[in-house]
Amino acid sequence: MTEPLGRVVATERKPNTPHEFHFWTSLDSPVGIGTIVRVDGAHATSGQIPHIYGVVVEGFSYTDLLTPMHDVLGHDGSPGNAGLAVTERTEIRLYSAAVLRQIPEEPLQPVPMGEVFLAEEADVAVALRMDGYLKEGSHTGIPVGVYRAGATDSVVYLDADFLLGPEAAHLNITGMSGLATKTSAVEFLLASVFAHFPESKGSIAAVCFNVKGPDLCFLDQPALRLEDSDRALYEKMGVKPEPFANVRYFAPYTAKGFALNTLRSNEALVHNVTPLTWGLREVLQYAEVLLNRDDIDAKADALIDFITERVVDRKMDKDGPLSRDHTVQTFGDLEAWFRDLLQGMERANAESWRTHHIATIRKVRNRLSNISTRCAGLVTDTGDVSDLPFGSFEDRAVYVVDVATLEEDAQDLIFARIVSKLREHLERRDLGVKHLIVFVDELNKYAPGDGQDTYVRKMLLDIAERGRYLGLVLFSAQQFRSQVHRRVVGNSGTALYGRMDSDELATPGYSVLSAATRTRLATLDKGQLMVRHPHFTQPIFVRFPRPAVLQGRDGVERFPQAADVTLETALYKSLRTLDPSIPLAWLKSLVNLYDEAELLGARNATMLAKPSNVRAFFESRLRRIIPADAPAGASRHVTSPLRPLPVGDPYDL
Amino acid sequence: MTAKEENGEKHLWPASAHEARRFILHELPRCTPVDGGTAEGDRHGRANEPPELLDPDIIEGSTFRAVHVADPRSVRGQSGFAGFLDGTQDVRIVNQIDGIPIVWATVSAAVRARTNRRLASWSGRPPVVRGSYYIPFRYVDGMPDELRNDSRVVDTASQDRSGKFPSRHPAALMEAAVQRVQQDRENAEIELAEAWCALEEQALYVDGSISASPMVSRSTLAVGVIKSHRRLYAEGDAFRVLVALRAGERSTVFRVSSRSRHPVASWYVRVRAATGRDALFGLVRVESAETVDVSARADELSRWIIAEGSPLALPDGRWDKMAYGVRDAEEFLRAIS
Repeated sequence: MTEPLGRVVATERKPNTPHEFHFWTSLDSPVGIGTIVRVDGAHATSGQIPHIYGVVVEGFSYTDLLTPMHDVLGHDGSPGNAGLAVTERTEIRLYSAAVLRQIPEEPLQPVPMGEVFLAEEADVAVALRMDGYLKEGSHTGIPVGVYRAGATDSVVYLDADFLLGPEAAHLNITGMSGLATKTSAVEFLLASVFAHFPESKGSIAAVCFNVKGPDLCFLDQPALRLEDSDRALYEKMGVKPEPFANVRYFAPYTAKGFALNTLRSNEALVHNVTPLTWGLREVLQYAEVLLNRDDIDAKADALIDFITERVVDRKMDKDGPLSRDHTVQTFGDLEAWFRDLLQGMERANAESWRTHHIATIRKVRNRLSNISTRCAGLVTDTGDVSDLPFGSFEDRAVYVVDVATLEEDAQDLIFARIVSKLREHLERRDLGVKHLIVFVDELNKYAPGDGQDTYVRKMLLDIAERGRYLGLVLFSAQQFRSQVHRRVVGNSGTALYGRMDSDELATPGYSVLSAATRTRLATLDKGQLMVRHPHFTQPIFVRFPRPAVLQGRDGVERFPQAADVTLETALYKSLRTLDPSIPLAWLKSLVNLYDEAELLGARNATMLAKPSNVRAFFESRLRRIIPADAPAGASRHVTSPLRPLPVGDPYDL
Repeated sequence: MTAKEENGEKHLWPASAHEARRFILHELPRCTPVDGGTAEGDRHGRANEPPELLDPDIIEGSTFRAVHVADPRSVRGQSGFAGFLDGTQDVRIVNQIDGIPIVWATVSAAVRARTNRRLASWSGRPPVVRGSYYIPFRYVDGMPDELRNDSRVVDTASQDRSGKFPSRHPAALMEAAVQRVQQDRENAEIELAEAWCALEEQALYVDGSISASPMVSRSTLAVGVIKSHRRLYAEGDAFRVLVALRAGERSTVFRVSSRSRHPVASWYVRVRAATGRDALFGLVRVESAETVDVSARADELSRWIIAEGSPLALPDGRWDKMAYGVRDAEEFLRAIS
């Protein structure tokens, strides 16, 4: 039986209530802000000795001095004299604790007088109501960190039913940039989820949007160093200190198209980096993400709808102003259609076509045509699509979409489309996994509390409010929680807080925390978090280990970005990943014959198709060049193309 | 323990004035409760003696003079006291019967021991806390024998030395009760002081006189420090020397004795400067066993007592004369009694 470390105390001025109590300890007790304690009542209530669990939220220290002046007088105004006094003044350490749980829970009464003990591991489980979801046979606990006080090291578990649904879902992390380790916390938590997600709940994967820097670019690489203390934490929580086993990266090309627009471009790491490219079909549905609301009035909106439903992927016969048949499947096709249509209308001096005014048509053409320019590298004119493997997501896989170096438009488009597709597939239950975590950083930017209502913000709201029923869970992070849309953070069942900015802590949302708790939040070390979870009546401080993956800064040093390359080198590097025997000289000869766009198109198609005969496939994607003069008497050898030319081939002029 | 308590009946001895009021109602149904505060009389026990000046019986040299002991600042941190003894009393009229006051008093005493500059309860003997009734038996009719025979019920109407019984006047009865309470408090203090002298080897700071006990008055461990000066051992020139004592000075050592008290060596010490204050500010009278090296002993004890002036015993009104250890003991007694 451990010794009590304190005694409950109450006065008329400072009474105990069912939600708060006070206790004093000796001067050397290990109690501090955030410490969990247990009170054992002296008298039975309803035949049961009450046990009350609380977390310390405030601490006071004072002596029997009535005023500081008496101390000055007593030491003749010299602080150095204090050490010469024969007796130390009696000092009290008084703490206030917020009640976490009372046993029995009814009747709910003020905390009685009694002895106070430091909570042991079993006490922590009861105090945080973890005993309800850590039972053998129905264990849904996901370790989030370790609570430490005195000699007690207790794992704190989140309930998967409340973290990942269906009871509640979503997680939000707040903290100062660079100090709060938001990304590290998510990396660790993902590893913990993958390790502990109950089998009975099915499969789970994660999609992470890397919005800044190289933080998420090396999740499959081991950390450079992991301290013994971190290893001990991993072991305590039953998580292997290893990088993620199954990670795939996606990034669009640069505007030039030579290389992928990602910080993970080192040759040693490109094996699991896939281009992210979309064509007309993929983008048109989300055109409103890129189009200014002022631009798109009802008429333009109607025309875009018409194009989406009646033009794209359909054969438009030569009719009216159209001088030929069109099958629009790419931006290039669309541009040709617009040109033909407008020229025809101008020739006929027509003001409208199928109720669409010519001015509207010109406007929409202008807006849609420059999408591929604004999102160069992501959106292709040729329609080559390289996308996330919707429909075949793998269990415990991490899919990272690197948008860190993209323009804002492209970022918004990527985000909108991917999340929408994920949602669609989850609704149809054909994503490949049953649960999906989507991690989005910089929520201040994507879901601000004020400002215009954007597509991205609407989507995030939709996920936050309805995602859990589909198995779509949002893990979000930001620096200033007060500036994020309330319904997004409000729907996050679990909230983590790293070191916080003092101005942020002064906002009304944090007034429910005691002054001492806020001060602790402002001074948290790296690796420490405050956790709020539906089961926890009060927030709890925990410690989590450094992630076992290579950190962004270390990764960039160890795997520097590839240097800018020429076209032939870019082609060479790409094709060699499919066929190491591809000679550079052969590529150089092609570069001399064909223009950049054609070569890049051929490369993209080859990378998508992954053919067994890479050279032949690549060449088949290039238009055939016939020599200017045929030798006399030579018969024309007609060869059938490897692939028939598509109808309406833009090169067939 | 009453017979009822021996029989296991639930009439537990009162632990507070409120309980005392109810208990005595049960024992003496004719009495009526009185809801009063603490009775008159110094909580810290001294009777209202008439002020007087006495000629000191000098045992150090031949004249009453000032002796410089030390600069108060130079003796900080140097004290040989290992314990502080103090007692308190709480006197209340809880009931009355036929106009006769029934008094309930709690006397308590404790020793606070100092280890590594921190004070805690002395482990040698627990604090004394005793609640008793003080009743003039001869003026209360129908008092049950159980109550009369209980050692915790004190007869305050017994004959004095001259054989007289106290008057029936409520004020006289009250005065008699208070005197008995003071006696009991002093007995409680003596009990602890004697225990300390028997068990310990370091000095004990006693708040008050040590001359009531033969053992304590002869022990070199016990040092009595008296803060009140109803009786001043300084007349004529001695008085002028006394009031002129400066911080860090003591008076000549003299003997204090009487028929009812045991002789002790005594002297005055000025603990802190009285500039701008009344003549008795910071002045205490010390009692110690008479020893051969009375001067050296007085010097040493005086230095210790001066050192005990820090930290200040504020906010107590007697802080100028009080050692912090005594204040701690009083706070402790307030908490437990």
